[in-house]
Amino acid sequence: MARIEIRGLRSAYDKADVLHDISLTVEEGRITCLLGSNGAGKSTLIRGILGLTQPHSGQILLDGEDITRLPTHKIISRGIAAIPEGRKMFPKLTVTENLRLGAYQVGDERTIRARMDSVFEAFPRLAERRDQLAGTMSGGEQAMVSIGRGLMGAPKILLIDEPSLGLSPLYVKENFRIIEGIRDQGITVFLVEQNVRQTLAIADYGYVLSGGKLVGEGTAEALQNDSAVHAAYFG
Amino acid sequence: MDIGLLAQYLANGIMLGTMYALVAVGFTLFFGVLDVIKFSHGDVLMLGTFAGFTVWLGLEAAGISNPWVQLVLILIASMAFTAAAGAAIAKYLVLPLKKAPPLNTLLITLMLGTAIREAVRLFYPNGSNPKAFPSLLPDASVDLGGFLLRADSVILVVAGLGLITGLNLMLNRTRLGLAIRAVAQDEETARTMGINYMVVVLATFGIGSGVAAFAGIMNGLYYNEINFGMGLLLGLIGFSAAIVGGLGNLYGAILGGFIFAGLQVVGSALLPFASAYKDVFAFAVVIAIMAWKPTGLIPERTSDRV
Repeated sequence: MARIEIRGLRSAYDKADVLHDISLTVEEGRITCLLGSNGAGKSTLIRGILGLTQPHSGQILLDGEDITRLPTHKIISRGIAAIPEGRKMFPKLTVTENLRLGAYQVGDERTIRARMDSVFEAFPRLAERRDQLAGTMSGGEQAMVSIGRGLMGAPKILLIDEPSLGLSPLYVKENFRIIEGIRDQGITVFLVEQNVRQTLAIADYGYVLSGGKLVGEGTAEALQNDSAVHAAYFG
Repeated sequence: MDIGLLAQYLANGIMLGTMYALVAVGFTLFFGVLDVIKFSHGDVLMLGTFAGFTVWLGLEAAGISNPWVQLVLILIASMAFTAAAGAAIAKYLVLPLKKAPPLNTLLITLMLGTAIREAVRLFYPNGSNPKAFPSLLPDASVDLGGFLLRADSVILVVAGLGLITGLNLMLNRTRLGLAIRAVAQDEETARTMGINYMVVVLATFGIGSGVAAFAGIMNGLYYNEINFGMGLLLGLIGFSAAIVGGLGNLYGAILGGFIFAGLQVVGSALLPFASAYKDVFAFAVVIAIMAWKPTGLIPERTSDRV
């Protein structure tokens, strides 16, 4: 099982990013996306799930269990991992060290090595640069490290926050292809994005957030033709 | 100047440099993980040295008089006690003030340092007077042509440098060290990796404080005397060393410690008047270095934090 259910969440991070009474479900084995423009409250929601921002009220359930007030490391130990907005590499750590941190709660060295090998297999470029400091790499390479790091913990659920931010169109396309691959491995994906067209092309189900409120939801096909989506962005 | 005297000064400098570096790394570790200056560091060190001294009194009373056994037990007790004190200060004073301006943390720990110092002076039996610290190391020495190399200094320096090397290996080769470096660079992302933030912060403060306690015991063994005010100067020197080297950088702290010791030695060797002015000279040069390199000799931007 790997399913997140959010019930009546009210939360705020900074002053602009406020959530009013959000309820949504991230279904197992699918890509569920949350679309919204800047300041719509997307990051606050991710922070809430990760336990980085305490909500004012509401509940976050993982497979039916309340994880709302748990400290972040306990939430991670239940099988959630994140690829944060802006990739958030540890710039002064090497590629290998960054990847190791993704598997921080894994004690067994052999498991860590095996997972690192499969990351290097997926991103041969990282294998070449394993001892390089992550801060000295290009944006696209950092995105690979961030994705690889998110997979190192072998999560049941992966939260991905604006993977297309600041990347060239070529890398964006590549990234979305990788996210589809992650879903196909059986990992539940919660994808938060601004990029409507490309996101809906790979997502199974989606929600639309505007001004801290959900203004639409539906299957990806339905949302593609939904006027609420367009209103949320251009209205 | 003759070679023997020069060697004597050099040996002194290495000894003091090791001691100062052990204090300075604490400042740099604390600043690394929490961006705070913990000004009580020197007085916590003093408290740990007194704890070690108390254990020695107890061992004497219990009739355990083997100096090696005494030394090991004193070191373990002192470092463990100081580590616990450092972690407790982090948990109950420093972390609760995390959202406050760093200046508040600085002020609170400055006051805590004074409180610890005064408490030892007032409440430790005859605390206002210096205590004779035992010399537990062999007093043998080798005559190297006009220069007496003391066995106790050699042992202290080797042990001190070993501790610094161990600390460096811990930071760069272990899982805890990786977590400390991750927290130092980006606290939130480190937490997102599943690192228990609280545990890492408390471990860092415990380790930094325990290492300083070693410097305190070293100081006692070398001068055969401890007093309630010893942490004030040692803390100030350790802090200056960390700043001169570039706060947040382990190698900077070590470099700063040896630079300060070098300045003191040069001051006492070359100044025409009494060596009492060696600290005046050393701090004056430190001020000059800070004017020349305001962010320290190894600035944080171009180097790894802790």
